[in-house]
Amino acid sequence: MGDLDLSGAFSGITTDALLEALFLVVLASIVIMLVQNLLPRVAHTLGGKPRLYLLASVPLLRLVVIVATIILVVPVLVEPSFENMVAIFGALALALGFAFKDYANSLIAGIVTLYEMPYRPGDWIEVNGQYGEVKSIGTRSAEIVTPDDDVVIIPHSTLWTALIANGNDGTDNLMCVTEFHVEPYHDVSAVLSLLRDMAYTSPLVKTWQPVLVTVRNTPYGMQYKVKAYPLAPREQFRFITDLTTRGAEALASEGVRMVSVPVTAV
Amino acid sequence: MANVTEKETINPELPGGLIPLEDWRLPETSVHRSIKGAIRNTWIQVRAGFSPDDEAFESLDDLPPLSRSQIERFAPDPDYGRIARLLLESVAESPVNNPVSFLVAPPFSGLRKALTVLADDDSADSRRLIMPPDNLLMSDSDASEWWDACDFSTPWVIPELASFWLRHRSGLALVRELLRRVAADEVGEGLIGCSSWCWQFWSYYLPDARFQPLTPAPMDAGKLGLWLGGLAAPASESGVVARMANTGLWVLPSDPDVLGEGQKAANFLRDLAALSRGIPGVALGIWQKALRARPEEEQLESQEKGEHQSMRAQCWVAPLNKLSLPVVPSAAGRGLEFMLHALLLHDGLGSDRLELVTGMKGHEVAPALNRLLRADLVEYHEDDGVWRVTPLGYPAIRRQLQSDGFPVDAF
Repeated sequence: MGDLDLSGAFSGITTDALLEALFLVVLASIVIMLVQNLLPRVAHTLGGKPRLYLLASVPLLRLVVIVATIILVVPVLVEPSFENMVAIFGALALALGFAFKDYANSLIAGIVTLYEMPYRPGDWIEVNGQYGEVKSIGTRSAEIVTPDDDVVIIPHSTLWTALIANGNDGTDNLMCVTEFHVEPYHDVSAVLSLLRDMAYTSPLVKTWQPVLVTVRNTPYGMQYKVKAYPLAPREQFRFITDLTTRGAEALASEGVRMVSVPVTAV
Repeated sequence: MANVTEKETINPELPGGLIPLEDWRLPETSVHRSIKGAIRNTWIQVRAGFSPDDEAFESLDDLPPLSRSQIERFAPDPDYGRIARLLLESVAESPVNNPVSFLVAPPFSGLRKALTVLADDDSADSRRLIMPPDNLLMSDSDASEWWDACDFSTPWVIPELASFWLRHRSGLALVRELLRRVAADEVGEGLIGCSSWCWQFWSYYLPDARFQPLTPAPMDAGKLGLWLGGLAAPASESGVVARMANTGLWVLPSDPDVLGEGQKAANFLRDLAALSRGIPGVALGIWQKALRARPEEEQLESQEKGEHQSMRAQCWVAPLNKLSLPVVPSAAGRGLEFMLHALLLHDGLGSDRLELVTGMKGHEVAPALNRLLRADLVEYHEDDGVWRVTPLGYPAIRRQLQSDGFPVDAF
């Protein structure tokens, strides 16, 4: 460490260099702010895949701007010799290792997130029981918005330990499951066909994706599940509501009655 | 020599004849035009999200359009009776030899009108017309009884299959039963016309059904020139001349062999074919809006200076970038799109049926229809009492529905 002189590396910093570095950092901050505010607004005016691609490009663009800023700022402040670089990054590693261990953990996980993409803006994910749409991916954490409009901050370090369920995984295909619990003793094949027709005739369904109807016996009756894809992931709750409404009407028209789970069985 | 033979056999009323559905290809356009179109469409979509103005059709030039009588002379509606006979000939020549033939075409291809005329025809080609019942909501047994009552002993025609169903759980029975009978060869000899949007729905609903449908060949630049020139031909024996209002380049006649020395052809027809997705009705609608009575000043001066003046009837054509076609209001929510999608699936619907298939209430449907009407995206057809999308609005509607994840046709 005797040859790695940290104070020596910064000794040549002049006021002009500081101002130039400050200017670059401010400029980068403005660019990042524009990217984070403008692109999501434009994305929300578009639909389908263009929306997803644009949203996913936000964290990547921010990373590019940060890396470019570091590359530009460091040579302005210090002479980019091998010794100076080792001194600076060595000191940085020590500081991060001891003082900001958890923060650094999240930062590194954030970079891994951009590479492995377990979730992207626009994805619907469930982490530790919290379900919602990924709105933004920051340096340290991701923000999801739940169906009840709560914002949940998820540190990227959760990536190392938690199970992450991703409903659409970067695509606009998100399967919805609508359940119907009905009394037994009815024409099962007729109800299977009826529920399939009901799903196909919903204006919110993606007809080119499969529509599946399954049935199984339960202690309290028969459980039908209609599995289908809405036009867009964000339509999922409206879609399930539509299928539930139409399904209930269709079953009632055929004289098939719904059942509830007995209170004692819960 | 092969080209000459090909030109001789192409019929101006149905250029390209019928082809298998799988062989249909979107007319090509230049890379420059594609990029420009994509940027323009994205910009329109983004701009519409912030300032929802300028949704209806608009001419961006000051040149005088043609009068109604001049449009009927230069760009009249096609002769559907003639098209119907050509369709029958083309079906007969097709290698597909099924008792029941399916003709599938995108909206505004003129299929419904042509096949309806076929039923009214007094000639030997005449077919018995099968019309849908007033109430399309019925059970499987009721649907079976309804088809049992139909007479299939003589050749028959259904001009539009989309009129026989509703996107409702009780509105599928008639078409489902008909397709079952066609597959089982129980309905004699028939001809079924079907909108491409309706066909796409039923292809997904019955993925194992294979009926080998035929479709009119897409109108590429060459076929479009032949067709548009042919439409105007009866009004002007020697043919029609159409030139670009801004450059003076020649649009019609489109055949380079007919043009004289120094007469250059414009790219208008290629761009029109791509913009209209090769659909004749859409191309004709845009063509009628693009025709002008006189050119821009520079072209007028050059013409007056003694440029060769043709003795044929002449009109001028505004460039496509001077026509602002209708735009779908993008910030309007799903309601408008549900309605537009339903209108395309059923090839037109009345207000009450729109409520039934979209699940929207009457107080939501009426204002939405009014907004679509003001944007030139839909129009009311008095003769059959239904709302349909407009030919000029169709390209934007299809693009918007596709962009927002709706199932669209294959054309």
